Amino acid sequence: MKTIMIIGGLLICTLGFAQEPTAKQILDQIDQNMSSENRVYTSQMIVHAARGSRTMEMKSWTAGDNQSYTEYLAPAREKGTKMLKLEDKLWFYSPSTDRIIQISGHMLRQSVMGSDLSYEDMMEDRKLQDVYDAELKGNEEFQGVDCYVIELTAKVSDVTYHGRKQWIDKSKLIPLKEELYAKGGKLLKRTVLSDVKKIEGRWFPTKIHYKDMLKRGDGTEFIITDIQFDVNIPDHIFTKASLR
Amino acid sequence: MIKFLFKGLLRDRHRSLLPIIVVVLGVMLTVTMHGYMGGVLGDMVDMNARFSTGHVKIMSHAYAEEEDQMPNDLALLEVGELIDRLSADHPDMEWAPRIRFGGLVDVPDENGETKTQGPGIGWGINLLGEGSTEIERFSLESSLIRGELPDKPGEVLLSDDFAIKLEIEPGEQLTFFGSTALGGMAFYNFTLAGTVRFGSSVLDKGAMIMDIEDARLALDMPDGAGELLGFLNSGQYVDEEAVAFCENFNSKYSDIEDTYSPQADTLRNLSMIGSYLDYAENMVAIIIAIFVIAMSLVLWNAGLLGGLRRYGEVGVRLAMGETKSHVYNSMILESILIGIIGSVIGAAIGLAFSYWMQNNGIDISGMMKNNSIMMPSVFKSKVTPVTFYIGFIPGVFATVLGTMLAGIGIYKRKTARLFKELES
Amino acid sequence: MLAIKLAIRNLLGAGLRTWLNVFVLSLSYVMIIYMNGMLDGWNSQAKSDMRVWETGGSQYWHTEYDPFDAFTIEDSHANIPVDFNKGIAAGDFAPVLITTASIFPEGRVQSVLLKGISINQNVVQLPSTSMLGEWDDIPAIIGKRMAEKNKLKKGDLLTIRWRDVDGTFDARDVVITEIFSCNVPSIDAGQVWIPLNTLQEMMQVANEATIIISSSEDDLDILSAEFVYKNFEFLTEEVTKIIQAKSVGTSIFYVILLLLAMLAIFDTQVLSIFRRQREIGTQIALGMTRGQVVRLFTIEGAMHAVLAAGLGAIYGIPLLLSQAKNGIPMPEGTEDFGMAISDTIIPEYSIGLIVGTIIAVLLAATIVSYIPARKISKMKPTDAIRGKVQ
Repeated sequence: MKTIMIIGGLLICTLGFAQEPTAKQILDQIDQNMSSENRVYTSQMIVHAARGSRTMEMKSWTAGDNQSYTEYLAPAREKGTKMLKLEDKLWFYSPSTDRIIQISGHMLRQSVMGSDLSYEDMMEDRKLQDVYDAELKGNEEFQGVDCYVIELTAKVSDVTYHGRKQWIDKSKLIPLKEELYAKGGKLLKRTVLSDVKKIEGRWFPTKIHYKDMLKRGDGTEFIITDIQFDVNIPDHIFTKASLR
Repeated sequence: MIKFLFKGLLRDRHRSLLPIIVVVLGVMLTVTMHGYMGGVLGDMVDMNARFSTGHVKIMSHAYAEEEDQMPNDLALLEVGELIDRLSADHPDMEWAPRIRFGGLVDVPDENGETKTQGPGIGWGINLLGEGSTEIERFSLESSLIRGELPDKPGEVLLSDDFAIKLEIEPGEQLTFFGSTALGGMAFYNFTLAGTVRFGSSVLDKGAMIMDIEDARLALDMPDGAGELLGFLNSGQYVDEEAVAFCENFNSKYSDIEDTYSPQADTLRNLSMIGSYLDYAENMVAIIIAIFVIAMSLVLWNAGLLGGLRRYGEVGVRLAMGETKSHVYNSMILESILIGIIGSVIGAAIGLAFSYWMQNNGIDISGMMKNNSIMMPSVFKSKVTPVTFYIGFIPGVFATVLGTMLAGIGIYKRKTARLFKELES
Repeated sequence: MLAIKLAIRNLLGAGLRTWLNVFVLSLSYVMIIYMNGMLDGWNSQAKSDMRVWETGGSQYWHTEYDPFDAFTIEDSHANIPVDFNKGIAAGDFAPVLITTASIFPEGRVQSVLLKGISINQNVVQLPSTSMLGEWDDIPAIIGKRMAEKNKLKKGDLLTIRWRDVDGTFDARDVVITEIFSCNVPSIDAGQVWIPLNTLQEMMQVANEATIIISSSEDDLDILSAEFVYKNFEFLTEEVTKIIQAKSVGTSIFYVILLLLAMLAIFDTQVLSIFRRQREIGTQIALGMTRGQVVRLFTIEGAMHAVLAAGLGAIYGIPLLLSQAKNGIPMPEGTEDFGMAISDTIIPEYSIGLIVGTIIAVLLAATIVSYIPARKISKMKPTDAIRGKVQ
C-alpha cells in the first residue's frame, strides 16, 4: 500500500530538537531520516461497511517513492490478487480471471473497495516538501501527547488536497493525526495514527484510521502487523511479469 | 318459440346474416378499442414497471433510501426463500430479482492486458433461470443487434454503442472489475454473447446485462438481490391489488427498526406517476364511453334497418292473422338472439385479437426511422374484466333498442292496406 | 348537381336513420381532430418549454461534450471564442460550464452535475438572478425534483465537493437561493446551478465554458475549433421521436373509429339499395344509365360525410375552441417520463389537420358507399322495376 509510504515519509525520526524548530526543519528531519531504501510489510485493512466490517490481509514490497507491489493474502476471495504501482500507473492481477487490468484516468478517483481511500490517495508519492509549503502553527496536546501543529499549503496546483494539517509527536517526531482540507478550507478527510511501536530502532505507528469527513460511517482502518526495513528486494518484483 | 326463431335465423340468411355480421363487427371493434386504449395509455406505465419499478418493488429500507447509488451492500439477502414464500402466498404474481451495479468493463489484448475499458452499469436479471420472463420484459430479442442472447452462465450482453466503443465483438472475452457487495474486489470474466440497443441514451452508453447468478458470483452476494420486482399476472398494473399486496407484505415482513428488513412499495408511489394513472383511466373511460355511444347508435341503426328490411314479411304475417304484439315480441326476441349471438362472436374475435395484441402487439419500429428513444415501439392491448362485457352494451342493448323503435311501425300498419301492399 | 340535390333529399327523408349515422361520423371527425390537435399542442409546448428553459434557439457544444458520459464532462471545456463576446454582452448568448461534483445530503454521497450559468443571462428562463447579491456561501439554484429527492428547501445549506482543473479537491457549502419549477427534467434532476464566474473560479478555468446557449436558431458561423453548432432540431430530437411514436399509436385509434362509422354507412347503403330496387328500376327505365344510378347512390352515401362535417362543426367548434383556450389539464408526475409536459396542454388545430381529416373521412365514406352500389350495375331493370329480389 502506497499510503504507508506517505505516512512513512513523515514518521521515521529518532532525533530530537534542542529548541523550537521550524516546520521545515521538522519535515526535513523526517525526510532525512527516512533512511530505509525499501520495506516489506504485512498489513490488514478493515473496511467498516453498513453491514459489518471486512478485513483484508496483504503483503507489500515498496522501494523508493514510486514502486510498490502488493499481494492479497486474505480473505479467500481476494487471495492471490496482486497490485503493482510504477510511477503513475496502477495494475491489478486476479488469478481467478488471469487478467491484468490497468486502472487509469478517472477510475483512479474511485474508492478502493468501499474504503474511505481512493486509488489516487494511494498513488500520491511526491515528497510533501516538494508539494507543500509548511508552517509551524504552534503546540497542541493530542490524546495526551505534546504535539507540534504543522500546516501545509500546496505550492503546486496539481495536488488532490490543497491543505494539510499535521499533529506531530514532539518526542518521537511522528505524526499522530492528519487532516486534509479542500481549497476552500473545508475538512475532507481525517487520519489518526496510533499504536506506536519501536521497530528496528524506529518509532512507527502501526494503526492508521481514515475517515471521509463528509460521509457518514466509521471509516477505514489500516493495521501494520509486520514490517521490515532495507530488505533485499529483487528488481523483478516491480515488473508486470511478477503479477502473473 | 326461441327454438323456432333460432331456426328461422339459421335458415333465412336475409333475416340473420347481415344483422349478425354488423353486430359482430361492431362488438369486435368495441372490444378491440377498449383493449387498445387501455394498452396505449398504459404503455408508459408499463415501461416504468418493466425496467424500473415492477408493479410492486421490494427493497431493504436502507437500499430504498439510496436507491440511485445502487448500494448493493444494503441489498436483500436470502431472496430465494423470500420468493418461495411470496410465490406460495401470492400465486397470482411473478417475481423478478435484480441486481444493478456499476463497475469497469475491461477488454483484454492478446497478452491478457487491458486493451480498452470503460465504466459500465451492470444488470443482473433472471436470464437463464427456468421460465424466465425477463427476456421478454426487457424486449431483449427485438433489441438484439449483433450476436445472440446468452444461453449459458458467463455470457453477457452489452449495449451496442458500448461494445463499439470497447472494440469488442460477440464471442470475445471481457472482464468485469468492481467492488463486491461487501467491499472486496470483484473480478469476473465474461464472454460477450451479443449486443443490444434499447433506445435510451442512458442505457445505450454502458449497459451490461447478465444472468443474476453470474452477478451474484461476481459481486459475492449469494442469494442476494438489490431489488425484487413483483408483477401481477395479468401483466397490467392494478393499483388496488398492488396496494393490498404491499400492506399485507409490510405488515408481515417489514420492520422499521431493522433497516435491512424488506419493504414493498407500489409502482404508483415509486415512480410518482400516480396521477398519470388516474388520468389514463379517466381518458380510457371517456373515450370508451364515446365509442360505446357511437357503437350503440350504429347498432341501433342496424336494428332499425333490420325492421325495415322485413317490412314485407311482417305484412304477410299480419295478413295471416298473427297479432301485432306477437309479431312485435317475436321480432324483439329475435333481435335479442341476434344481439347475443353477434356479441358473443364479436367479443370472442375482439378478445382473441386483443389477447394477441396484449402478447405480441403491433410493432411500429419499422415505421419509425432510427428510433433512439426508449419508447415502446410495440403497441399492446390491455385486456381487463371490463373488456369482456363492454361489447355487450352496444351489441345487445343497442340492437334491441333499434328493433324496438323500428318495430313500433308494426302497430301503425292498417290491416286493410296489407293486401294492397302484398299485391304489388 | 341534380344528383347532390336528390341525395340530400333522400337522406333527410330517411330521418332518424340518417342522423344516427351522421352523428357517429361527426364524432369521428371531432375525435380525430381533437386528439391530433392535442399531440401537436404537446409537441410544440414541449419544444417551446425546452427552448425557454434549456436549449435556447440553438447551442454550441465543446467538441468533447457528451451529456451522457460523466467521465468526459470534466474535460470538455475551453475558452469561450472571442466572437461570442459581443453577443454575450448583448444577452444573445449564455455560456454554461459543466462539471461533475458530489453532494452530501445527510452524509450520503450523491453525484451531481454542477453547472455554472451567468447571473444576468436571459437567454433561458432559469432564475439565475436569484443568485444576485452578497452571500456567505455560494448561491445555488436547483429544480423542484432535485429539491424533493434530497429534501432541500430554499435557504438550506448543502455541502458540495468538486475538483478543479488540476484535480485538487475543493468543497464548500452552497445555499439554495431558489427552487425553480419547470417542465424540463433535463435541467433539474441531479443538477445544481451556480453562478458561472464562481464555477470558473472554483475550477480555475477563467472564461471557459462547456456549452454556449444561443437565443437564435441560426448557425452564426462562428469559427471555432472547440465549439460546434447544434441546431434546435438536434437538441429536441427526443421529443420529436416521442410524439412521432404517439402519433402512430393514436392513428390506430382513428382507424377503429373510422371503421365504426363506415360500418354504419355500409349497412345503410346495403339496405337502401335492397329496398329501393323499384326506384332504381324506374330510374333506369326512364333513361338514366346504370353508371348514373350508381353515382347517385354513391353520392347519397358520401353525403353522410358532408352532413357529418356540418354537424360536427356545430358542436365540435365550440368544444375544440374552448379546449384551445383553456388547455387540456395534464396530470402531475408525467414529467418523470423524461420529457417536458406542462400542467395543461394547449391543443393546436392546423388547417391542414382539419382539411386532411375531412378529406379522409369523405374518401372513406365514398368508398364504402360505392361498394354496395356497384351491385346496381348488375341489376336487370325489368326485374328491378318489379321489385324482384336479386
